[in-house]
Amino acid sequence: MIPILLIILASTFFPGIITRIKAIHTGRKGPGIFQPWIDIFRLLRKGSVYSTSSSYVFQIGAVIYAATIFVAALFIPFEEKGTLFSFQGDFVVFAYLLGLGRFFLIISALDVSSGFEGMGANREALYSLLIEPSFFILMGSLAMFTGHGSFHDIFEALHYGSYFSIIIGIIAGFVFANITLIETSRSPIDDPLTHLELTMVHEVIVLDHSGFDLGLIKLANNIKFVLFSTLSANCMIPQSISLGWRMLMFIVLQICFAAGIGYFETYRARNKMAMNPQYILSINAVSVILIFVVIIIKNNL
Amino acid sequence: MEVLLFKIALVLTFTIFFIPKKWKHLFILGLQVLTIYASSSLAIRVLSSHSTLALPFDLDTWSGPMLLVIDELSAFFILVINLICFVGLIYAGGYLKPYLSKKRSVFISLHLFSFLWLHASMILVTSFRDGIAFLLAWELMSLFSFILVIFDADKETVLKTGINYLLQMHLGFALIMLGFIVTGIQTGEMSFDALQLYFSKFNNLPLFLLFFAGFGIKAGFIPVHTWLPRAHPAAPSHVSGIMSGVMIKMGIYGIFRVITYLQTDLLQIGLMVLFFSLLSGILGVLMAIMQHDLKKLLAYHSIENIGIIGMGLAMGIIGKATGDSFLSILGFGGALLHTLNHALFKSMLFFAAGNIFHATHQINMDHLGGLAKGMRWTSMIFLIGALAISGLPPFNGFISEFFIYKGTLNHITTSDFTFSIIGISTILGLVLIGGLCVFCFTKAFGLTFLGSRRSVKTQEAKEVPPIMLLPMILLIVAILFIGFFPGKAGQLILDILQGTSLAVNNDQLPSIISDFSNIGFVNIILVLTLGGLFVLRAWQQKRVTIAHGPTWGCGYTAGDHRHQYTPTSYADSLQQLADPLLLFKKDFKKFEPLEIFPPPRTFHTTSKDLIEEKTILSWVHSIVTTLPKLGFAQTGRINHYLIYPLLFIIILGLLTYLNVI
Repeated sequence: MIPILLIILASTFFPGIITRIKAIHTGRKGPGIFQPWIDIFRLLRKGSVYSTSSSYVFQIGAVIYAATIFVAALFIPFEEKGTLFSFQGDFVVFAYLLGLGRFFLIISALDVSSGFEGMGANREALYSLLIEPSFFILMGSLAMFTGHGSFHDIFEALHYGSYFSIIIGIIAGFVFANITLIETSRSPIDDPLTHLELTMVHEVIVLDHSGFDLGLIKLANNIKFVLFSTLSANCMIPQSISLGWRMLMFIVLQICFAAGIGYFETYRARNKMAMNPQYILSINAVSVILIFVVIIIKNNL
Repeated sequence: MEVLLFKIALVLTFTIFFIPKKWKHLFILGLQVLTIYASSSLAIRVLSSHSTLALPFDLDTWSGPMLLVIDELSAFFILVINLICFVGLIYAGGYLKPYLSKKRSVFISLHLFSFLWLHASMILVTSFRDGIAFLLAWELMSLFSFILVIFDADKETVLKTGINYLLQMHLGFALIMLGFIVTGIQTGEMSFDALQLYFSKFNNLPLFLLFFAGFGIKAGFIPVHTWLPRAHPAAPSHVSGIMSGVMIKMGIYGIFRVITYLQTDLLQIGLMVLFFSLLSGILGVLMAIMQHDLKKLLAYHSIENIGIIGMGLAMGIIGKATGDSFLSILGFGGALLHTLNHALFKSMLFFAAGNIFHATHQINMDHLGGLAKGMRWTSMIFLIGALAISGLPPFNGFISEFFIYKGTLNHITTSDFTFSIIGISTILGLVLIGGLCVFCFTKAFGLTFLGSRRSVKTQEAKEVPPIMLLPMILLIVAILFIGFFPGKAGQLILDILQGTSLAVNNDQLPSIISDFSNIGFVNIILVLTLGGLFVLRAWQQKRVTIAHGPTWGCGYTAGDHRHQYTPTSYADSLQQLADPLLLFKKDFKKFEPLEIFPPPRTFHTTSKDLIEEKTILSWVHSIVTTLPKLGFAQTGRINHYLIYPLLFIIILGLLTYLNVI
């Protein structure tokens, strides 16, 4: 239960911290730390407007998107006993579950016959297609390094012994952090806090969702963010120390990550849209470096 | 008994030419049920008793009496063939209805006749081990599928495509025959079983290559895939469904059969198969994304799926080569299960495409859109097919891909780094294919069924009659069964593998099965979560006001259907990235800087197959352009023609004199 509680806890504060940091650094008073959650609960209680050109797909899309992310959260490891689902190749199921949700998000965007949402759908499909290999290269090379095939075993074995695992942990953490940013379309891929029509990936895909559906999508997005940042943190937290220390480290890392994103989004403009594929491919290149690092280390040891 | 029944059914098909038009379909369906009963009972007997069945077919070729030999592998393929052909023929009843009044009775008879014979010849292909009998059945299969493809032969393009198909099939036939002849010369016997002897004596790679090329043409591996994207759109949908669903799998069956006899050169063979599979998988799906024609898109996806099956086979062979029995079981198992899975969802997708054509007389996605409102059931069927083919849980496509993932993953955690690189590239190939597939099917489903109509016709689209929907229920049940009970499906596949010589040790099998059951558990949790959220949503929606209005146009109120994404614009971003791999041309005139009153413009795109252009058409083109230059010799005067032999004799004399020959 602990990983799920931690994920819920982190996803409660994560978006709030980012907006707070951004508000402070842009010299605004800004909303409170709980504002994102207040927004979600308000949306969940609201009525909805449906486009007349939409069909049943639009009605089921948001729910399926949210459900896949909730189920994917059950795969994230943290404590020794493992998680609800832990078996060899569980990260494949994790990635494909997210893929299922994405499929429905994309087709429900295409359902409203708007050029804007078509654009968002297209970009979501393209970027996720480009970033997916780096997730698998990363997990594949971690599996190669540790000799295990599931999230839990990989992260547990990563911190046994050698100092080399620190190098690998850092590179892996870096790539995971970038995957987080790309999967959730934060800066530098996209800036979610610009005006709706200018936010070209994740926000534009949900332009026509409203009420309960929009609330679910926002909730799911927050959780998705924390899923990836937890994986990133798992690469850095040693498993040998006691659970309490690890939880503390986890919370500190999450806060640092959120704050980092806040700083980053304040001081750096997002990429030009046409540059994004190159950026994503460069992340893939970094993860390929990881394979070589693993090969070099394994053959020297 | 069963063999007799099978033969009686086949003989009775000839009477179809004398039956009233109205009853022809029902008559053939009856005979098909007989065939299915006969062959399935044999197959089930084999699967339940785990033994090989040998039955005399009571016909002789010049190499001896024909013998039906059914082992587990054949039995598996027979059951797949029976299921898909059965569904296909029921579906054909609805699909052919509009043609009954248009076509002459004899054409309808010939079509249905060929359908059953194609079905029967495929069963025979999987059960003959003798070379001559096998080639005979193989040839029957090609001929009858040719007749099925040219159903719309009034159109010249269809006939041309059909002939192209027939020629390519015979190229494959020649290669397979050559393979058997080589075996025959070296061992004295032309049969699959003689391969055992051949492979133990000689180099395995060359002969395997010959068979791989021959069977690969049928299966549609790139670069010998070019018949596939032509023949599938030209054929009627029920035919494309069974051709893509099961007929191309006969190529896979052949390769599988040959692999069971391999003994040496395993690593080279495995790497070669892996190379062609990765090529087929990635290029196949990339080409699919560029298509506007829905059936052509699906045809390219067949190539992609053959690539995935090939990856499974390659992993199996590499597993055997490196002594990793875990990898080899999971690789071959994945290939086998994906064969079944692809048969299920691809035939379903083709039938759904047939429904669209039936309702709108249009298969070009540029003109479709918004069909989900009029054709709700068809759209749901297509959606399930699209999710399954993209390899997404909780459907069956994911299970077979997971077989390959799991085997490869286990392999890279245990082996040295050369093989780890091979493993990582396989995983990478699968991931890329999966991602591209999602891209392609969000496009195919989204632009065909969702949004608003792109042309006048599609708004009138009405749902097709139930006979064109109900058969698909059978396929959906199978898809969901594999998706939700992967442990059972995995057990079945591994049992079948035990019957071949491919799976060696089985002490790890229980752990494999339990992992697959875990996926079933995940799927059930997913469905429960979904159910919970839907109930919550329904409860919430009852308490609030629900309004309907136009799509939010960001303040712009004059938006219409022309502002939607089209297949070309959706694929554009990817096309720019993958440009070197595609021959995609946009034909339009750019705006000049000082063009104040621009005249009307046209925009036209063409997408050609890079492999076909570079490997085949460029050669053909140069031959076609150079050969006419020799035409100067054909003067039409008899005295010139008499000079040519004289010249020939003189040259011969000279060459002999100079001791050249």
